[in-house]
Amino acid sequence: MSQPPATAPDRALPWTCPFCPLHCDGFAIDARAASPTLVGSDCGRAKAALGQFKRAVSPAQPQVDGVACDLERAIGIAVGYLAASRQPLFGGLGTDVAGARALYRLACDTGAICDAAQGPALMHGLRAMQDRGAFTTTLAEVRERADVIVCVGPSPAAQFPEFFRRCGVGERREDGSILPRHVVLFGDAVDEGVACDVAEAGLGGFGALPGIGTEAVALQGDLHDAVNLLAALVGGRNVRDASAALVGLARRLLEARYAVIAWQPGTLPAQGALVVEAINRIVNSLNRSTRAAALPLGGGDGAATVNQVFTWLSGLPLRSRAGPAGLEHEPLCFEADRLLQRGAVDCLLWVQSFPAGTAPPDTRLPCIVLGHPGMAPTQARDAVFIPVGTPGVGCAGHLFRSDGVVLMPVHAVLPDGLPTVAEVLGRLTGALRASRGNVE
Amino acid sequence: MSSVRLRGGRIVDPANGVDGVRRDLLVRDGHVVAHDPDEKADQEFDVNGCIVMAGGIDMHTHIGGGKVNLARLLLPEDHRLNANPVARPNNPLELDSCGNCTPGTLATGYRYVEMGYTSAFEPAMVPANARHAHMEMGDVPVLDHGAYVMLGNDELFLQMMARGEDPQRIRDYMGWTINAHKAMGVKVVNPGGISAFKFNQRKLDVDENHVHWQVTPRQIVHTLARALSELRVPHPLHIHGSNLGVAGNIESTLATIAALEGLPGHLTHIQFHAYGSEGPKKFSSAALQLAEAVNANPNISIDVGQIMFGQTVTASGDTMRQHANADLGHPRKWIGADIECDAGCGVVPFRYREQSYVNALQWAIGLEIFLSVNDPWRVVLTTDHPNGGPFTSYPHLIRLLMDRSFRDEQLARLHPDVAAHAALRSITRELTLTEIAIMTRAGPARLLGLKDRGHLGAGAAADITVYREQGDREAMFTTPEFVFKDGALVARAGRIVAVSAGGTHFVEPDYDRGIEKLLRKHMASHGSVNFDNVAIGHDELCSCCNGGRLLPVECFGSAP
Repeated sequence: MSQPPATAPDRALPWTCPFCPLHCDGFAIDARAASPTLVGSDCGRAKAALGQFKRAVSPAQPQVDGVACDLERAIGIAVGYLAASRQPLFGGLGTDVAGARALYRLACDTGAICDAAQGPALMHGLRAMQDRGAFTTTLAEVRERADVIVCVGPSPAAQFPEFFRRCGVGERREDGSILPRHVVLFGDAVDEGVACDVAEAGLGGFGALPGIGTEAVALQGDLHDAVNLLAALVGGRNVRDASAALVGLARRLLEARYAVIAWQPGTLPAQGALVVEAINRIVNSLNRSTRAAALPLGGGDGAATVNQVFTWLSGLPLRSRAGPAGLEHEPLCFEADRLLQRGAVDCLLWVQSFPAGTAPPDTRLPCIVLGHPGMAPTQARDAVFIPVGTPGVGCAGHLFRSDGVVLMPVHAVLPDGLPTVAEVLGRLTGALRASRGNVE
Repeated sequence: MSSVRLRGGRIVDPANGVDGVRRDLLVRDGHVVAHDPDEKADQEFDVNGCIVMAGGIDMHTHIGGGKVNLARLLLPEDHRLNANPVARPNNPLELDSCGNCTPGTLATGYRYVEMGYTSAFEPAMVPANARHAHMEMGDVPVLDHGAYVMLGNDELFLQMMARGEDPQRIRDYMGWTINAHKAMGVKVVNPGGISAFKFNQRKLDVDENHVHWQVTPRQIVHTLARALSELRVPHPLHIHGSNLGVAGNIESTLATIAALEGLPGHLTHIQFHAYGSEGPKKFSSAALQLAEAVNANPNISIDVGQIMFGQTVTASGDTMRQHANADLGHPRKWIGADIECDAGCGVVPFRYREQSYVNALQWAIGLEIFLSVNDPWRVVLTTDHPNGGPFTSYPHLIRLLMDRSFRDEQLARLHPDVAAHAALRSITRELTLTEIAIMTRAGPARLLGLKDRGHLGAGAAADITVYREQGDREAMFTTPEFVFKDGALVARAGRIVAVSAGGTHFVEPDYDRGIEKLLRKHMASHGSVNFDNVAIGHDELCSCCNGGRLLPVECFGSAP
């Protein structure tokens, strides 16, 4: 746990934002006042999340059944819940590498099923990958060479306000030139609930720049239909009744030097893995004659990070458990909501150290929450709450960027004295082992 | 102070010229010490009937980092037994972890240690992915580890080459890269080819220009080898050459050796680069040509990358060649990526079949190389895990090398054209225990500059493996009797008895820090990470690696 300094910093502090999986590290935090402010960006998502923090020691305390207590008592009660559980569920999973490492040990000790709050989104990409693979790219590649960027679904700017800037769209290079690019929004205004409008998508300003084209291409049919039609067109098959816009988009992709198809797992409909599979098929077709790659935009609030860590430790991704028969991975059956609804689990450990992350589901099960102080449960029966620090704000840590390649270090810019998820889980695991007579 | 005596074993310690001499070995506080028969040891082990060697060192094994984890994600089927889950460990010291060709990091550590290995090196650490690689290696229990950072396909290096930058600046950039990412060496993969593929170039011969930067692999290899040599980094440039897997690629390999012009170079998974194009199938062994070149060029060392039959997965930085091979994959799925203007990766599952002419010949070529290079100090035993096969197949490979009749039996089962005509049939050489000890520990330690590993002389770190001597070398090398890490018993008869965090080996060459100005500017205008967040400091490395020891390795000629 990192203790706050006695005096306020005298300048804006360099910052790596933990709140969305782009993890921008070009901005700063002005922490001279008690309420820190963002410097160098107008990202609404970062600003809102930052509003949940103060430059001060956090007064938050652990609670048992809504009553404040010390950490030791909270851990003691939590150990009791876990020891009595025959099938725990670890959900939320909003933490960093250190938290995930600690969580895996506890999951092995308890046989818990683990699924992230963003599990449904995560599984779209994972299941497509398990079936057919993928071809992806990263932010620096996009910035350097993407001449066509197709955004599937609603504009990424809604969820990832810095996205187009991180892609370098419209930026002047050292020689004063602007890399010509064409940005396509490929989505449906009605179905997606976001206007497929270039101006509203944060692209309005780019259209005026030399060499930058912007375009909205409406879906033909639903998203499944549209990506499959596009895959067929790109694959060179005859498609009757394809819209002129779709035919044009296929041609543009085939003529691109380096096309990037950005997609957002969190916005995909049911059976989204099929959409991802079609996107991968488009990319593979393009790579037979030119160059292209996909760029997933998701996995924030720890989901991608915990998935990576569990995968490297055990060999299997999330929605797995160390059950009585051994290591089991069930990408459908081990969905947290489904397990809760069916009564297939009898205890919930919810980890969410990010303030904008999903709050624990309403449940009558014994529930342990390791969360941002603002996440103290209102329901107070059989509930343990332990406030934890947020990686990148109150404590340091490591988080994966959405492209899955870069593991960003995040720093304790506003130390608040709260323990990290890893520290709490370490104590919890130690206490559980001691209660079973296993001394480490 | 704690001490251990191993009593009555036969010591095989080629670094110190000890070949099967029967004598006791004394360990004090984690190090081998001069033997004192009067010293009472805290623990004594009777190792009569056993062979005592230094712990095994795998200097080319894909154990950690992005593409390894992608391989795990791609292959859930590698992590179950048909339709059933893999059973939980029956050892309370082990956490659940599984997989055959893509084991979890925990299983990787347990299985290596049970087999008598105490160090492993990840050969392809992408700079942008270095933290991730160190995290994964840190989660491989017990084993010490390190990694070679990839250069030669990064746009900055190619740009510097293209504009004829002062070699000293390139050397400083390399020095910074090694330091910033806490690497043990530098690897080049398909020199220039990964980058060229991003510009839609599909093939790049050694003297062919990169379509955009107009530099050749020959120039890239030479420039990198020269810079690394001038930085006095012990491990020579680790080279995955041009045209991996392509029939006739021996020409590229010989040209790459020539490009070094006598500078040190380590040609990795050389089996995949030793193919001729003769015969009716236009695919033939060039093992003898390769061996001749290695024998004639003392600046060259190799690791083999032997293939083993069965299912595995190939995980490589070579996007260009993996894309070309993707249609041959089994099962038919694959992952590729263009990475951060640094590198790339390609993950293609593969099943090597005994009845495939090409696969059978690949198998024979690997063994021919092992058995045709004269100097075992320049040959390292690898399967390029998991690309040629999983590391757990090493004991089988050792038996193939030490037992001619067993080898001939295996050869007879293969595709009939290979069984009948392979040059391997006429090779009678059987490697000795000393040669195996060189290829699996003493040689790699020397090639990496690890002065206190790979041998059992006084002062060596007490990484020790004790094998029960038996005629079946596969059984002998599968389950050592005892394995010690830094003097502590960590495995006994194939069972883990202690789990510790391994240490991280890395080098810290000197370079002119003035280069950082250029790098800061380049990152700002082309990168996606703030320059100040790139370098990994000692404290951060320590936390990445679960508190394991930091083991900086001296550069040649630097002050002690």
